Amino acid sequence: MKNPLRRRIPREIKGEAGKYIVIFLFMVALISITSGFFVADGSLKKAYDESFEKYNIEDGNFELVDKPDAQTLNAVETEGGVKLYENLYTTQESIGGSRLRMFTDRKDVNKVCILEGRLPEGNSEIALDRLYMKSNDLEKGGKITVADKELEIVGIIALPDYSALYENNTDFMFDTEKFGVGIISQELFDSFSKTNISYCYSWKYNDPPKNRTGKDAVDKASEFSKVITQKAQLIDFIPGCENSAINFSGEDIGGDRVMFLVMLYMLIVIISFVFAVTTGNTIVKEANVIGTLRASGYTKGELIRHYMAAPLIVLLVACVIGNILGYTVFKDFMADAYLGSYSLVSYETLWNADAFIDTTVVPFIILAFINFIMLARKLSLSPLNFLRRDLKRRQRKKAFKLNTKIGIMKRYRLRVIFQNIPGYVTIFAGIFFASVILLFSLLFNPLLEQLEKDTVNNMIAEHQYVLKAPVPTENSKAEKYTVITLKTEGNDFTENITVFGFVPESRYFHAELSGDTVIVSDSYADKYGLEKGDSITLKNEYTDKEYSFTVGGVYTYPSTLAVFTSIDDLNTRLEQPEDSFTGYLCSEEIEDIDQSLIASHITKDDLTKTSRQLKRSMGNMMTVFQIVGIAVIVLVVFMLSKVIIEKNSQSISMAKILGYKKGEISSIYIHTTTIVTLVSVVACLPLTAFTLDKIWRAMMMNYTGWIAPNIPMSAYIVSVILASASYLVTAFILKHRINSIPLDEALKNVE
Amino acid sequence: MFIDISNIKKHFGEGDSRVDVLKGISFELNKGEFCVLLGPSGSGKSTLLNIIGGIDNADSGYISIGGEKTADMNEKALTLYRRKHLGYIFQMYNLIPNLNIKENVEVGAYLSDNPLDVDEILKTLGLYEHRHKLPNQLSGGQQQRTAIGRAIVKNPDILLCDEPTGALDYNTSKEILKLIETVNQKYGSTIIMVTHNDAIKNMADRVVKLRDGVIRKNELNQNKIKAEDLDW
Repeated sequence: MKNPLRRRIPREIKGEAGKYIVIFLFMVALISITSGFFVADGSLKKAYDESFEKYNIEDGNFELVDKPDAQTLNAVETEGGVKLYENLYTTQESIGGSRLRMFTDRKDVNKVCILEGRLPEGNSEIALDRLYMKSNDLEKGGKITVADKELEIVGIIALPDYSALYENNTDFMFDTEKFGVGIISQELFDSFSKTNISYCYSWKYNDPPKNRTGKDAVDKASEFSKVITQKAQLIDFIPGCENSAINFSGEDIGGDRVMFLVMLYMLIVIISFVFAVTTGNTIVKEANVIGTLRASGYTKGELIRHYMAAPLIVLLVACVIGNILGYTVFKDFMADAYLGSYSLVSYETLWNADAFIDTTVVPFIILAFINFIMLARKLSLSPLNFLRRDLKRRQRKKAFKLNTKIGIMKRYRLRVIFQNIPGYVTIFAGIFFASVILLFSLLFNPLLEQLEKDTVNNMIAEHQYVLKAPVPTENSKAEKYTVITLKTEGNDFTENITVFGFVPESRYFHAELSGDTVIVSDSYADKYGLEKGDSITLKNEYTDKEYSFTVGGVYTYPSTLAVFTSIDDLNTRLEQPEDSFTGYLCSEEIEDIDQSLIASHITKDDLTKTSRQLKRSMGNMMTVFQIVGIAVIVLVVFMLSKVIIEKNSQSISMAKILGYKKGEISSIYIHTTTIVTLVSVVACLPLTAFTLDKIWRAMMMNYTGWIAPNIPMSAYIVSVILASASYLVTAFILKHRINSIPLDEALKNVE
Repeated sequence: MFIDISNIKKHFGEGDSRVDVLKGISFELNKGEFCVLLGPSGSGKSTLLNIIGGIDNADSGYISIGGEKTADMNEKALTLYRRKHLGYIFQMYNLIPNLNIKENVEVGAYLSDNPLDVDEILKTLGLYEHRHKLPNQLSGGQQQRTAIGRAIVKNPDILLCDEPTGALDYNTSKEILKLIETVNQKYGSTIIMVTHNDAIKNMADRVVKLRDGVIRKNELNQNKIKAEDLDW
């Protein structure tokens, strides 16, 4: 015979439909978002990983000042143990002042992935990167003006060596609106290359390293760089293992998974506690029945399984529906979040066993475990305790003393608080977690805007030129400087530090440079906790030479991790002649330098592209976070306040019989929850800010560059307003519930 | 001798608030015997019933049922003992509100390897036509009959009744008592009933009177009458 108690389960769910529907919908939304993300993440990651072989992605590329002759290339191939592929490109100005890097079709290496349409033919067609087109509102079949030519867009493509549209490998971030890539015909390329051509060559090792990004790959690239520097004059040298345009998207696709998992599991823990508190309330209500069943011979295990069934069934159904929605609707939505940031090659949706385990099996185990612990504890009381409704483990001998000078209504409210401490603790935990999500979503845009503002306000010069060769200028405002990019120390994670050398009494850099010590940018100091007197060692990745500096001060320069010293000091360290320099700083555009001799020209747009791109790619995600945060507050406060009201329904009914007005009853039960909720919202703020600061710092440590987690006051205010407004909706519903408790409730049997 | 209750002692509280509820209770019952435990409030009769039922522990002494001492059993064994041998009826019916009448009886049947026929029990109890109703659609007497059905359907060796008519009016109480009498006669269950209604002793085989935790009287009823002839 099957346990007849099982017939209660659907009735229990139906009887508590409000509770279960709210939790069910929340879980479906949560699981479908997470499952969709994992499926998209897994499918895109697989497509990305396979793209190395499918599209024969290079092991690295270098750029030379001049076109090398065949003999040089042969010598490099032989001595370097590589095969070289010509990968010339021309960069031209296009829509909205953006820079478009154009290649001819690549047949052997970094092969083109055609997403839509075809490759161009003739001299009036172009195939463009999908994301660049999206960022600039371009469509296939439309026109684009490149330099002075109007071209028809005949194809939408992805270049596997530009999955993240980094213009320069040293850029902190890419900007898909201001930089893009495209394919043109050889004929068109030849006409463009008269004004601008980059002699870029890709290489593939004859004997590739075992791990594409491991130490052996770094060592192999280092060996190869020595060969190439002996044969030709290098402008740029980017090994595949260090090429952000190739690697960044792959690293990021895997990286967000942990954040989603943590969010999912924390929410499941909160929901599990909500279930635990509500089931605990059911046990109190059904104490006599439980006592009778236990006295009749039902085991504790049978009852635990019975009371766990409804939450687990609801979770399982939510998981199944959530996964179906995840694989269908939300997969595309979440993939769009990645495709809004990266120029990824085409992908196919793959069955993801990990996604199923993470979004179904683990939540099931978490919910089962927390509820099992709670039920095992509650049901460990003897049958007699249940029959006597004596469910407190430790009997309080006397009532909690309250000062009688406090008015009876206030004392009543305090008693309600003390009676419901576990529920209120869960409310606090739920609000804390929701606040972290809410504040994170609210802080993102203001933080980026502040960074953009600070970056512009603290630019060293409005125009910063890096030259391919030291050429003179007649511009009186131009000031020479030396710059080099060095690497931080570390095995797993290293990043670029830009070292500037300025002339004495520079008109652009306003701090004293002693020569004995260096000044570091505030972003560098904040990220690595540098203080005056600290010693830092940086390394030239190509020569392996190490440079040690002593920090003498901090300079406000948020856009870049940088070290500032005098030009003499830097030239001496680099063993360069005394009058050596690598570029100019200038408050206006320098017009008397040949464009072909300029390696890069950094302006306000370049320094602020990080924030622009992050806003563009993460904006939708932040809206999702805001909705999740608000939903958590409404869910937790509503569910637990409902429990408190149900628990006190007889007292509420009795208060009505005694003649208490609705307002007075609400002031006891609703206002108590209001006080606890609002106090929790405000009290959570410092804790939330502290947690968010730690999370943000830990998160940013894995990225190159730095955005300081300075939470603006506006984010706190909006967070409190949103949380309070969410509660007001809940309070309104609860008030209605209190009003609907009948007068005869107090007269009912406790049964 | 089927049930051996030997020198049971039990107290509640400590120090000044210590109350000795049972001060060495001993008596024996034969299989199929109908025993009424009589006594005023606080005499210890419910506590004794709970100790017999294995849902409360004695400070000392033992209860032996069919040769098995309950004091030697751990919680799991006690649960099994209750499952196999006992049926419980309380003053409050403690029915499961969202199961119908038949299902509430099945909750008892599930516990037995050899349960009685549920429909037959329902017919015996006069509940068959109400079997699809929920408990709150029935009167107090009908709900108590359902509770009896739940207790007896597993065909227990012992039926423990704690003030089963305490919440019922005269006529309904007599109906319930007649049912319990039927159960005793039809199924041969040993019945121990706690009551403070003196009249009920007349339908019992044995009457044990308690006061202040001691047995004041333990005697066989020589003038046993049928439940329907009871009057109070």
